[in-house]
Amino acid sequence: MMSTERRDKLAIETMALTKMYRDKAAVKNVTLKVREGEIYGFIGRNGAGKSTALKMVSGLASPTEGEIRLFGKPVSDPVVRRRLGVLIEAAGLYPNMTARQNAVMKARCMGLADERSVDTVLKVTGLADAGRKKVKHFSMGMKQRLGVALALLGNPDLLLLDEPINGLDPEGIRELRQLLLKLHAEGKTILISSHILGELSKIATSYGIIKDGELIEQISREELEEKCQDYFRIEVQDVQRALVMIQETFPDVQAEVFDARSIRLYGVQDGSEVNQMLIENRVSVYASGFHHMDLEEYFLERMGKEGGR
Amino acid sequence: MFNLLNMDLYRVKRSKSVYVCFLLLAAATVLVYGIMWLLEAPNGQEIALRIGMLVPQEAAEAESILDGIDSLGFFRQICLDGGMYNLIFGIWVMLFICADFQSGFIKNIMVLHQNRWNYIGSKIMTAWIVDGCYLVLHLLFALLMNRLFDDLVPYAGWKDILFYLSWVWFVTAAFAALIILICVLTRSVAAGSLAAVLLGGGLVVTPLYGVLNMFHIGGWLEYSIYLTCAMGPQKYTSVKSLYVYAVGFGFLILYTLIAGSVLKKKDI
Repeated sequence: MMSTERRDKLAIETMALTKMYRDKAAVKNVTLKVREGEIYGFIGRNGAGKSTALKMVSGLASPTEGEIRLFGKPVSDPVVRRRLGVLIEAAGLYPNMTARQNAVMKARCMGLADERSVDTVLKVTGLADAGRKKVKHFSMGMKQRLGVALALLGNPDLLLLDEPINGLDPEGIRELRQLLLKLHAEGKTILISSHILGELSKIATSYGIIKDGELIEQISREELEEKCQDYFRIEVQDVQRALVMIQETFPDVQAEVFDARSIRLYGVQDGSEVNQMLIENRVSVYASGFHHMDLEEYFLERMGKEGGR
Repeated sequence: MFNLLNMDLYRVKRSKSVYVCFLLLAAATVLVYGIMWLLEAPNGQEIALRIGMLVPQEAAEAESILDGIDSLGFFRQICLDGGMYNLIFGIWVMLFICADFQSGFIKNIMVLHQNRWNYIGSKIMTAWIVDGCYLVLHLLFALLMNRLFDDLVPYAGWKDILFYLSWVWFVTAAFAALIILICVLTRSVAAGSLAAVLLGGGLVVTPLYGVLNMFHIGGWLEYSIYLTCAMGPQKYTSVKSLYVYAVGFGFLILYTLIAGSVLKKKDI
């Protein structure tokens, strides 16, 4: 378990981070806070500014405005940079080299004299047996795993992973998830962006949602769970009649008309009572059931709401 | 920077391109020595006459082609005067630099090395080391060819060889810095190749020199990298001969500074 003292410390802190490309802002005024020991899910549509933000945090792009601090120190600090492992967009690998040679290159770049760390990360990512096979003959999933292996070299405290699940098969996704959870248990901070929200929701302890370059929400897993309440959904023939009856019969239940045929009911304990009441009152019920809003639905709803701003 | 240099040297040793480029230099040397042996050496002329490459009237004229040329002079004619060395070496430098950008490995480097000068410094030093190895090995190979082809030309003195190689090393390193600058600026294999061919082969400087000389203002171009390689002194005669070091060092510093500034300004 993470200590309270550690939770209060920030691994990443950006202040009013902005990146302009000519007149267009790719990232606008982003103030991101990632606490030490968190798995932070960074969510946004394609082109929302996730990769640009991550590039700035990793020092690959310079911000037009704003400030970035890693573990309380400026991002330019070479000591703090050694605590950072990065996989941004596609894994940067020399195609004519083997997995081990690529890893040795990165190790030398870091000044690691002992090549045992190379073997360790290759083993951890399941590439120890890749042998003399050149990276150009690797599958997409193998390349991604090698990218993660390179990010893990030097045992960094903070991992920035941009779409690491891309191209992985279900088994690869599961292995990566287990690896990330293991690294999290070891106390590493992980910032991960992914489009596969279902997968992200299995590991993230907090989330940041970015839209059109703006960070529209930062939310912890607990807060998200609170917001994503269970609801009872009924599909009926006459929504207006059903709504009036539900409000009269179950005054404590919150009802929300979702579309022309369905109603969401919050606070329902027993769904069969609702069904029975409606049928007795000759309102046809086509379908009904309890539902849990997941991260994907929450994200889409937030996108929809923000789109209407 | 030395971590990066260590990494770069590891890559050089394992890349095919460095060996392929040297093989091209060696092949060209064998070809030129072979042709000159056929034209010049008595044994060679016999074969040339037999295969119809020469007619008896031309044989006597051909014998004087290499008059007054020693092994160093012949080496520079094969290697540097026509721009072949800079072209091939330039292509290797281009492949070496562009691979970082094309593969995306540059991201792994730059995350660790915020100081962009480390990257430029390491690339220049790597190019310089490879350049030195190429020049020495190519010269040794040319001397070996000379021996194998019946001592086609007389051997040059070691002092002249040392003087020549030392300044050529500076000037060709400056050329490498120019190619590095172009690759860092464009991040494109096509642009880098074009630059290596046009600048290394003298396809820009030579016509410009010709045009400017028509107006008697082409003299300053003799201090360009290409013409310094082609026209620089083969032996030390006076302090004036040392201008080649200034040319090499000057361009090396200039292009390194510009390349570093470009890399600092551009995002990865």
